[in-house]
Amino acid sequence: MRRRDLLRTFALVLAVPSAGVGDEPAPRAERQPLSDTEKEALLAFAEVLVGDRPLPVPARAELLSHIGARVIAREDMLALYREAAAVLDRLAGAPFSILAMRDRRDLVVRHDLAPSRARMPRTEGVARAIRRHVALDLIAGYYASPMGWAVVGYGTFPGRCGDLGRYTRPER
Amino acid sequence: MDADVCIVGGGAAGGIMALELGRRGIRVVVLESGPRHDFAQRGAYVRRYLRHEDPWRSRLAGLDVNTGSGRLRYNLEGRRARGVGGSTLHWEGYTLRFHESDFRVRSLHGIADDWPISYVDLEPYYARAEIALGVAGAPDDPWASPRSTGFPLPAFPFSHSDGMFAGACGTLGIGLHHLPQARNSVPYDGRAQCKACATCHVCPTGAKASIDLTHVPAAEATGNVRILSEATALRLESDRSGEVRAAVYAQPDRVERRLSARTFVLATGAIENPRLLLLSKSSEFPDGLANRSGLVGTFFMSHPGIEVTGRVKENVYPYRIGFSTAMSRQFATEGDRAGRAAFLLEFLNSAGPTPEGLAVTSGLTGEALREHVRREFGRRLGIRIYCDQLPDQANRVSLNPRVRDYFGTPVPHIGYQVGRYERDGLDEAKRVAESILRTLGGTDIQSSGLSMAAHQMGTHRMGHDPKTSVADPNLRAHDVPNLYLAGSGCFVTASSSPPTLTIAALAIRAAEHIASRLRGDSKF
Repeated sequence: MRRRDLLRTFALVLAVPSAGVGDEPAPRAERQPLSDTEKEALLAFAEVLVGDRPLPVPARAELLSHIGARVIAREDMLALYREAAAVLDRLAGAPFSILAMRDRRDLVVRHDLAPSRARMPRTEGVARAIRRHVALDLIAGYYASPMGWAVVGYGTFPGRCGDLGRYTRPER
Repeated sequence: MDADVCIVGGGAAGGIMALELGRRGIRVVVLESGPRHDFAQRGAYVRRYLRHEDPWRSRLAGLDVNTGSGRLRYNLEGRRARGVGGSTLHWEGYTLRFHESDFRVRSLHGIADDWPISYVDLEPYYARAEIALGVAGAPDDPWASPRSTGFPLPAFPFSHSDGMFAGACGTLGIGLHHLPQARNSVPYDGRAQCKACATCHVCPTGAKASIDLTHVPAAEATGNVRILSEATALRLESDRSGEVRAAVYAQPDRVERRLSARTFVLATGAIENPRLLLLSKSSEFPDGLANRSGLVGTFFMSHPGIEVTGRVKENVYPYRIGFSTAMSRQFATEGDRAGRAAFLLEFLNSAGPTPEGLAVTSGLTGEALREHVRREFGRRLGIRIYCDQLPDQANRVSLNPRVRDYFGTPVPHIGYQVGRYERDGLDEAKRVAESILRTLGGTDIQSSGLSMAAHQMGTHRMGHDPKTSVADPNLRAHDVPNLYLAGSGCFVTASSSPPTLTIAALAIRAAEHIASRLRGDSKF
């Protein structure tokens, strides 16, 4: 889906005006790196998704590294991240990242922007794209990182070499 | 003449033959379709692999595309690696010898065909291949065929979860033993000991043997071996005498070049070898080079497999190494081999989802997600099963002229199916695996769907009779005296063991034959 289609769909579904966005977005802007503001919105979103708590500095760095790699690996990820950041800020009426954790969580739940086990009709359009592509991507990025392995008690994990004898015994 | 020997393909067969020939003073040029993957980049490759990318994937569009027909599709994407080192760049490193009965299934069980050589013929070459690749193992496999030598390296110790499997197997009377592998349990041959990085698809330390590390540097150091990377062979040109005169190849610029030699070796695997032969038609060979039998491309085989997992109460601590350490070959040699496929049991050290896998499939967020990942991680044990596959002439590699690759060459078309023999073997294997998992207290036992290993075999089988085989027991094409067909395409049967060690042993043996012939030894 092109960026213009994405915005139109979003405006229809969530009734949020895509103010300031023309029909033909400047192509150069599309490939510009994410701004600090956009990154902050994504990190604040990730905090809601992965633990309902502020991320420590190393975790933020890991997630930013993940976002950077995904942008290179998948052509549509930059647009998806950018849209997610824009949507979060618009829905918040302010930078999403300055909201309190509880308010962020409420917003995410209210607009159906995160995975859920609830059996209910799911919001389609951009909300679906954010839920399926951005939210899951940030969750994956976090749980594939050292923080994710730390959740299961692993200080050494795939990609971090270590003690060859460790696999022969239970984890300490 | 550009070389004494032109080898097409720089993987297991081609790399080994290059070293064997170069050591004997024979001038060799290797045409390798993929690049030289710089070892210093392995750290970056690991990071890409952990992001679910394939760092070994060709940068040339469509080079690994294939089409297929039959009830199953055998796709090549991700099942091969292009580059100096070939598929040993990404292989699992398991190095089992074929069992002596694998060479004589017609005589012993009345199925398929016998090989034109026996285990005894190949045994000394197995021993040499194990030394060259650095195989770690232990003589604890009661179903192994006789060995003239010990393993070069000690086996990797059994894992924590192997201990759980061993208890259940002991109760059921199922043998569990070490899994031989070309991976350094101790430092060996200038390469480091395994450091348990758990990313064996990309080994960042070089502890896992791969031809770019174990053979290519030594081959080039002889001064007799030259490797042209990113040089894709397009066809072989033969003359009226029926001998090959040149390999036509192209680099990414798509400009055709020629390389002449006295002898040619195709070592591009069981898909590209027949593809190249079929692409090399001439007035002498209207159906493809070396294809007077009409058998080039036929009898394609793989190893059909399934994975059976069960939930256990305690944490089994998976993902601490990237390979398995225990297996059972009991069902690969015993039982009704005439009635159903033989199979191997591989006791997995890592089954079930990673933290990431648990997280993205949970439908949860926040603290509930953390708790879910913490609670569910490490609670599944798994057994992987690979079975033998009968050679079936209908399973074949042909050309698809409607789909072209980067060089405009017709892609391979793979007609493939798995028959009743294999399905009955897998059904029996599933019953065995389920009984093991139940015995160790497993619940929620699940079986994966049918999948095929990244093993391709049997598309230019060897034999004595030119009417029923493509190459002779020394891998020389029956129809073309200066052409050799190396690799697993020459296999007559698939066994249930991984093919690489047998590829290596046959390559050493064939190189010995070529060297003797080029020296003019009368017995050849």
